Amino acid sequence: MSKNLVNLNVNPCKMCMPMGTANAFYGIQKCMSILHGSQGCSTYIRRHMATHYNEPVDIASSSLTEEGTVYGGERNLIIGLENLIKLYDPEVIGVSTTCLAETIGEDVEMIIHHFYESHPDSNVKIIPVKSAGYGGTQFEGFIRALRAIVSHVDMATEKNNKINIITSMISPADTRYLKDLLDAFGLDYILLPDLSENLDGEHQKNYSRLPAHGTPISEIQQMAGARATIELSDTIKPEESPGVYLFENYDVPYLRLNLPIGLRDTDALIDMLSEISKMPIPESIAKQRGRYLDGMIDSHKYNAAGRIAVFGEPDFVVSAVRLCCENGVMPVIAATGSNCPELKAKIEKEIAKLAAILFVDDYVVLNDVDFETIEAEALRLGANIMLGNSDGRRIEEKHQIPLIRCAFPIHDRVGGQRVRTLGYEGSQMLLDQITNTLLKTVEGGFREELYNTYYNEGPKYKYGLEEDPHKKIRILGNETPAQTKSVMSTLSIEEKTANHPCFSCGASHKNARMHLPIAPKCNIQCNYCVRKFDCANESRPGVTTEILSPEAAFEKYKLVREKVPNLTVVGIAGPGDALANFEETKKALTLIHDDDPNVTFCVSTNGLMLPYHVKDLVRLNVSHVTVTVNAVDPEIGARIYKHVDFMGHRYHGIAAASLLLANQLSGIKMLIDEGIIVKINTVTLMGVNDAHIEEVVKAMKEMGCFISNIMPLIPVKGSAFETLTIATNQEINAIRKQCGLHLNQMYHCKQCRADAIGKLDSDVSLDFRSSKEPTVEPTVASPKGLRFAVASKGGMLVDQHFGHATEFYIYDFKNNEAQFLEKRQLNQYCLGVEECEEKEDKFTRILNHLKDCDGVIAMRIGDAPARRLEKKGIQVFSTYDRIEEAVKTAARKMIKSQNLKNVSGGI
Amino acid sequence: MDPRDIVLDKYSSKVYKNRKEHVITINEGEPNVIQADTRTVPGIMTNRGCCYAGCKGVVIGPLKDVATITHGPIGCGFYSWGTRRNKAKGDENTKAFGEYCLSTDMQETDIVFGGEKKLKQAIKEAVEIFHPECIAIASTCPVGLIGDDIHAIAAEAEELYGIKVLAFSCEGYKGVSQSGGHHIANNGLMKNVIGTGDAEPIKYSVNLLGEYNIGGDGWETERILKRIGYHVVSVMTGDGSYDAIKNSHTADLNLVQCHRSINYIAEMMKTKYGVDWMKINFIGPEATKKSLRDMARYFNDPELSRRTEAVIAEEEAAIAEGMASCKAVLAGKTAAIYVGGSRSHHYINLLKSLGVEVVLAGYEFGHRDDYEGREVLDTIKKDADSKNIESITVTKDPDHYKERLSEQELMALRAAGVPMEEYSGMWEDIMDGAIITDDYNHFETEEFLKYLKPDIFFSGIKDKFVIQRSGVASRQLHSYDYAGPYAGFKGALNFANDVAMAITVPVWDMVQAPWKKEPLLEGSLGGMESC
Repeated sequence: MSKNLVNLNVNPCKMCMPMGTANAFYGIQKCMSILHGSQGCSTYIRRHMATHYNEPVDIASSSLTEEGTVYGGERNLIIGLENLIKLYDPEVIGVSTTCLAETIGEDVEMIIHHFYESHPDSNVKIIPVKSAGYGGTQFEGFIRALRAIVSHVDMATEKNNKINIITSMISPADTRYLKDLLDAFGLDYILLPDLSENLDGEHQKNYSRLPAHGTPISEIQQMAGARATIELSDTIKPEESPGVYLFENYDVPYLRLNLPIGLRDTDALIDMLSEISKMPIPESIAKQRGRYLDGMIDSHKYNAAGRIAVFGEPDFVVSAVRLCCENGVMPVIAATGSNCPELKAKIEKEIAKLAAILFVDDYVVLNDVDFETIEAEALRLGANIMLGNSDGRRIEEKHQIPLIRCAFPIHDRVGGQRVRTLGYEGSQMLLDQITNTLLKTVEGGFREELYNTYYNEGPKYKYGLEEDPHKKIRILGNETPAQTKSVMSTLSIEEKTANHPCFSCGASHKNARMHLPIAPKCNIQCNYCVRKFDCANESRPGVTTEILSPEAAFEKYKLVREKVPNLTVVGIAGPGDALANFEETKKALTLIHDDDPNVTFCVSTNGLMLPYHVKDLVRLNVSHVTVTVNAVDPEIGARIYKHVDFMGHRYHGIAAASLLLANQLSGIKMLIDEGIIVKINTVTLMGVNDAHIEEVVKAMKEMGCFISNIMPLIPVKGSAFETLTIATNQEINAIRKQCGLHLNQMYHCKQCRADAIGKLDSDVSLDFRSSKEPTVEPTVASPKGLRFAVASKGGMLVDQHFGHATEFYIYDFKNNEAQFLEKRQLNQYCLGVEECEEKEDKFTRILNHLKDCDGVIAMRIGDAPARRLEKKGIQVFSTYDRIEEAVKTAARKMIKSQNLKNVSGGI
Repeated sequence: MDPRDIVLDKYSSKVYKNRKEHVITINEGEPNVIQADTRTVPGIMTNRGCCYAGCKGVVIGPLKDVATITHGPIGCGFYSWGTRRNKAKGDENTKAFGEYCLSTDMQETDIVFGGEKKLKQAIKEAVEIFHPECIAIASTCPVGLIGDDIHAIAAEAEELYGIKVLAFSCEGYKGVSQSGGHHIANNGLMKNVIGTGDAEPIKYSVNLLGEYNIGGDGWETERILKRIGYHVVSVMTGDGSYDAIKNSHTADLNLVQCHRSINYIAEMMKTKYGVDWMKINFIGPEATKKSLRDMARYFNDPELSRRTEAVIAEEEAAIAEGMASCKAVLAGKTAAIYVGGSRSHHYINLLKSLGVEVVLAGYEFGHRDDYEGREVLDTIKKDADSKNIESITVTKDPDHYKERLSEQELMALRAAGVPMEEYSGMWEDIMDGAIITDDYNHFETEEFLKYLKPDIFFSGIKDKFVIQRSGVASRQLHSYDYAGPYAGFKGALNFANDVAMAITVPVWDMVQAPWKKEPLLEGSLGGMESC
């Protein structure tokens, strides 16, 4: 019975059974595979195996057609076997069924029986495996083929001195390691399967089309008489296990171990081999262990930064997670696409222990899961490294979380067949990769940051080679305006301003702008912003889906220009601070200006580095600059800014605010002297600067700024101001009206994202215009309004599954506005299938938390909870949108249906 | 014996009887008939895929704004996930789901009790997550067998969500190769998408048919067309979109790149909407030049012709030096080429302009007309397998039919050598004496390699390593080995560089251990001559 909680698998983290059987048969000597079904199955599987192993992969097909689905496929399979034997002369043939053969109910055992009857001379061993694609994943397929092999080969039951070693799908290089290890203990062993040579062969002058290596049938026959079976995978189900089969039918003692990855699991194998062989551990192996231990110590100081997501086949996940844990790399995600309910029990204790040490409060073990869920969880849990097959590359590309390619399949790199993970040396290689990936993340940016902090922007002052910039700023402030208006391009600045959607209200309807998300770093910490989102000067705090390099940004600009003909403005609005990333800003603007000198450039900044870059901005033809000024009084500023990083020092409190203010003021003055149009953004922080904003605007007016934009606070989860009361639209508009007496006000601001493109209102609906243009939407009949519980990770987007939410953002819809009320914490409803039994209790708890809500808004929600919520009169909405928009849409839907009800009730 | 006979001789008599009509040697002056598009012999290592691969993998999959749900167990969806390198990018107005693989991941219980409920839920979830304008459902083998009515579910979902939902019954066992899947996909697009848009016609507008944007080929082609002044209404289907294809009937002319996979749509659009079609080929500078000039002749506008020549001159000049150096390396080499349904033909021209002759060629799933030309169409008998693939008949659309050029004008164009509704197949360009193998298999690959010893072999991932093992350079022409684009002028240079690199890379001198080579010194014992 499927335990999938959802019906749509988005980006599968698994393949089908015949993929596993085909791999397993490649480990048998002189064996060919044939898939009984449509020929596409063979073609697809060959294609994927060839890419991973970089070797020829021959898998035949019985090429069933529509006729075969009606009359059965016996004829095709027998012809297929005949041709395979004629052309390849194999000793063994594995016949794996597919979805098609299993669905039409082919009796392959019987067909093979018929084949032997009609070919009495044939001495080819034909082994059937039932492997419908819907029966399990490649992991189960692999094991099932091994079980079919041991149960179909005619066993010799005389006792012998051999040891059976059975493995799941491990790389050819790891298989070679294993063989060397067994040899080192002088053991007489039968390795099932052995793909070390067939799928990682040497170059030969004459290519032999029949896999010449692998475990011979003559060896497999002796498995029944062996001293013991060791299965190197602890997640095989007993009813599928070849070792259990040998135990039950031939009394071969059966032992199982984890895949020998990491110190403890390798120790376990080595100790067992030593015991079985009655031989002390060879010195060379003891040295390998010692070296790995030494290597673990060498890298210990870096590993704790790791928040790793491990995914793949269950036995790989178990051992890889254990390797991570013993090295202090925190596995925030352990996931398998296979269905292995035991996974959690095997590793959770270990992960929990490390989590406690590292103060990590959340991690997940996911069973039967797709990459969509892994991606969402990786973002939620802040994974900074991934370990698994190459299908994780899409997450890597999208979110820049580096992926260490391991296990099967690897499609975008060469060398899948040579990946080493087993034993002390394999573990060392894997650990080195993990540590080095972590180091690269730190070291890569570290040097650049050092350079920028101490060399590019500072050492002269710091080492007394230049005057103290603080003094300089004061002097600048007293200077007489320099009349050095620069001629910039063919368009006058007035024309540019008229065409700028953020500076001219008329233009906001006509003209489009594009924000280039190239500036990730920020040099101040505002209390309304969370560092991990980086800073927000304006717009939705630092929200961007990706950071672009200047070159990529240029490419994107070219693309957008083609599609958006009214693109007049290119801006840099973060997600950090444009001037804290000046090299990127400079590069991007230069590229675009060289391409089209008529583009209006707009840069947004907190003003800290402004005095140092005004000249550069002029040279770069920037005509518009937005500076976020929240206070002109350092005491108020000190409450807004947590710290300011300037010239290699971190300033706090009033010192920080004074420094920022001084630079803002002198920077703005310089801008205006250069003829650059300046907009001032101010975030309304109730109880902090709301009464002070008018002062700010007045001061800016005196400086000669063009327009002022007073914005409401957007509460960001985890920021110091997350619980600050939010100004209502009325309050904001009252402030704007008052300030409008001094300086033009921007009423049409949409608080755009750092990667916004288009017209200001193209991705947002009617909200901010409501003060100017009375709304035509029907308002709620009841004055109380509607209340919604929203499942969101960061408080901006409806981006969480109902079942995964540990907190809800409560929003009220009143007077046609969505207003944030509070955040409610609760325990997560769904922790995976294993714990579903406990759902009842938890759900009742959730209901208690949400009983005053009229609706629940989540990205997705299961059927059962949706029904239960609806039974309680709580309507359910699934969407992916900004919260305010989602609340409004949901509310309007509810009002509409209420109105309808009222009407019909009236009649 | 010629190599053909040596190779075929190794088959059993039954297989020999089948294969002898699929493997032929081109004889000068003779009609050269080949058998194609028939069932593959079971157990032979065919390179063919299945109906699902042709429909979802090739034609429907690349549509970027369509959320394509594979209805079936997980394997098929996974295996067709991004494997063809058909590139696509979204923008502000177009969503792109190319990075996603959506599957109903059917389990044992769904096979027993039916998967309809799961499919309905999956559509609901896809709508909720992706908000697509169009959803496509592609069936895999079990679906047709257990009787899930995906067409009824599609109709229901269309009504429920107010979006377009396309259903394709492309179960893997249908037809004899991918080709059946192409036809099913063509029918679906024709019935449900083409002609449903209401855009205004634009001057000099074309559709690019059978261009799947592998490695960016379509982008490079579009770039050239745009430079000349053409408006590309839609591309079918590389980087293509449902949104654009809706309006494809407004174009003046259909340009057919891959004849095999999309000629059905070209023919049907001619009948229904009067859109003329022309066989073009943007692979290779010579073929590209001819195609551009043919187009200019069709539109018959002096300004367009002038721009055509200007662009040709400029693009050609830009690659001249590079092409010449590659040609110096490659001239006199021989090649084998074995790809899907039209590509094998397209590259013959490009290789010729580099001085490389193709000695061995074939298609995986081409039909006889792809080899011999469309004039044999009437003589192709329909067998049981081709009858199993639905063939739809369309009639003139009274509202949207518009004659572009009169029959007389078209005749005049044909007389002038413009291939209007014409395609003369691979025979047009293949050299005499070349061996042609239809539905090529691994055994034949190895054998012909031994006898024909081509310097480079163009095929796919499945045979790539067999070829390389034999000490012969290979390049994948299905997915371009992570490279491309190869179309147009700049693409031709990319191709030339890649091929030159493949052949000249030092490893080929080392794959044979020196002590195994022929002795370096030759001589005889002193005094022997006198004996």
